[in-house]
Amino acid sequence: MLILGIETSTGQSSVALVGTDGVVASASLGVARRHGEFVAPAVQFCLRQAGVGADRVTGVTVGLGPGLYTGLRVGIATAQAFAAARDLPVVGMSGLDVLAFQVRHVRRLIAAVIDARRGELFWALYRAVPGGVQRQTDLRVGTAEQLAAELEATGEECLVIGDGLSRATHELDRVGIETFAAVPDAAHLAELARPRFEREETQRPADLLPIYLRHADAKIGWEARGRMQGGAAT
Amino acid sequence: MLVLGIETSCDETAVGIVEDRFTLRANVIASQVELHAPYGGVVPEVAARAHLEALLPTIDHALVEAGCGLSDMDAIAVTSGPGLIGALLVGVSAAKGLALAHDKPLIGVNHLRAHVEVAQLEFGELQPPLAALVVSGGHTSIVALEKVGSGGESGDDGRFRQLGATIDDAAGEAFDKIARFIGLGYPGGPEIDRLARQGDPKAIDFPRAMLHEPGYDMSLSGLKTAVIRYLRRLEAAGTEPDLADVAASFQEAIVDVQVVKTLRAARDEGLERVVLAGGVAANTRLRARFAEACEREGLGLVVPSIPLCTDNGAMVAASGANLLAAGTLADLELGVDPNLPLAG
Ligand SMILES: Nc1ncnc2c1ncn2[C@@H]1O[C@H](COP(=O)(O)OP(=O)(O)OP(=O)(O)O)[C@@H](O)[C@H]1O
Ligand SMILES: [Mg+2]
Repeated sequence: MLILGIETSTGQSSVALVGTDGVVASASLGVARRHGEFVAPAVQFCLRQAGVGADRVTGVTVGLGPGLYTGLRVGIATAQAFAAARDLPVVGMSGLDVLAFQVRHVRRLIAAVIDARRGELFWALYRAVPGGVQRQTDLRVGTAEQLAAELEATGEECLVIGDGLSRATHELDRVGIETFAAVPDAAHLAELARPRFEREETQRPADLLPIYLRHADAKIGWEARGRMQGGAAT
Repeated sequence: MLVLGIETSCDETAVGIVEDRFTLRANVIASQVELHAPYGGVVPEVAARAHLEALLPTIDHALVEAGCGLSDMDAIAVTSGPGLIGALLVGVSAAKGLALAHDKPLIGVNHLRAHVEVAQLEFGELQPPLAALVVSGGHTSIVALEKVGSGGESGDDGRFRQLGATIDDAAGEAFDKIARFIGLGYPGGPEIDRLARQGDPKAIDFPRAMLHEPGYDMSLSGLKTAVIRYLRRLEAAGTEPDLADVAASFQEAIVDVQVVKTLRAARDEGLERVVLAGGVAANTRLRARFAEACEREGLGLVVPSIPLCTDNGAMVAASGANLLAAGTLADLELGVDPNLPLAG
């Protein structure tokens, strides 16, 4: 088994190849956010490091978000095209699940958080269960105040893990909640997905869709289309 | 030699397959027109979301139409600009996924050049020296193609020399905005085309800016403003406008400018034929007037059939095939350029 993982939902993208015994190769890019140019060369890099061709990959897993829309689409489009071309099974996962999985040994209530931009956050609450974590709530989008209020209302001790927490430090500190900065990464994603491949709980590439949690901005792109040779924006 | 071409620069998810540069094997388009129609224009985020959903099925459909598989392809070509950045990224990312999966060369295609080069699928090798008028939703420009062949070592880049362009609105944009103003559907070009057939093109004398100025640049935003002002004046006076006349007269003004500037460029630059390209080249009146004018001036005229004028995947595959023949390949870092120009 050789799983290709791609995670591009935050400012830090990563790609990993994970085999039965763990991570074979991985690559990640910091906050530069050039997902478009990073992902495919990173896949190639991982294959080369592993000394295998694309034909050796047995499954593809990709982060479905929520997160940065453009980044998500880059990761998903690359992953699903690769998988479709090689006729491979895929597993799509929320980056929030991956974040919570990264702290699965914590006995507190876990809140996984990803920056939603525009002054908002995406989050969901989790609890550790044997072998992993279990999501307790829907995926939500809202302000840091709303997150703090929701956590406070549980009356439980919580750990908040995620990205974009600087936006929420003030509110979370105020209610005395511990935070831990992290991003979902491709190696954890692939590890989390591996049992799904083993149990053949997989999807078809065309089934993969980003988790947007917000409607599309309904602004016509005259400006975006108004380009050099014709089309000054008006 | 088989090339698969992916187009996602604007509001059509399209895939084409071309064999040996000139033979069309498949051309499949999943249009998003209905998604954008309620807004009266292309909404970038809506477009990007829809491309992602439509692309894999469109690729599959094209392969079935061509009766071949991905492993039969010699290269994967994709529009890398100009266009909407989020929309372009979907196509480019998917193309990279395909190229990686089968270790195929990747080719980045200029959407505007592809609009021109698609003509080779119906007319064979483009015969320079020629003038190409690229009239589309985002662009209106006149370029010259003087050299024979496909650029060789240095690749195809720089084949086209820019002669003139609109200094403000693109023709398609003007069609769409006026159509929206008079309450026609989106996209506006085909609607105005249809309505104009019942109108008198001489009914209203809308301005033709820069028509008599030297050079080949043009300006279309004044025309748009003039049409809007005309309609407001009638409204204020309580008069019902004859919208068919408005459409026909507006269209005539745009067409006049295109014909005069393009033919002047061809004549001055010693170019022997004219190629019409881009979505607005689907316009009935534009096609008829160019046919008439080129005949009169003894110029050849190359006009692709309507489905090859508006955005399609065949054009990307055709242009990609030219680049492959010239050895101009991209690497996996291929980026998108929303402002990629037609001529350097
Ligand atoms: N029959 C027609 N008459 C006039 N305009 C038309 C006609 N058919 C299509 N158009 C116009 O063509 C434009 C679409 O062309 P095309 O698909 O080439 O544009 P685009 O790809 O969005 O822009 P670009 O090619 O500049 O990136 C729209 O503005 C549309 O209104
Ligand atoms: Mg176009």
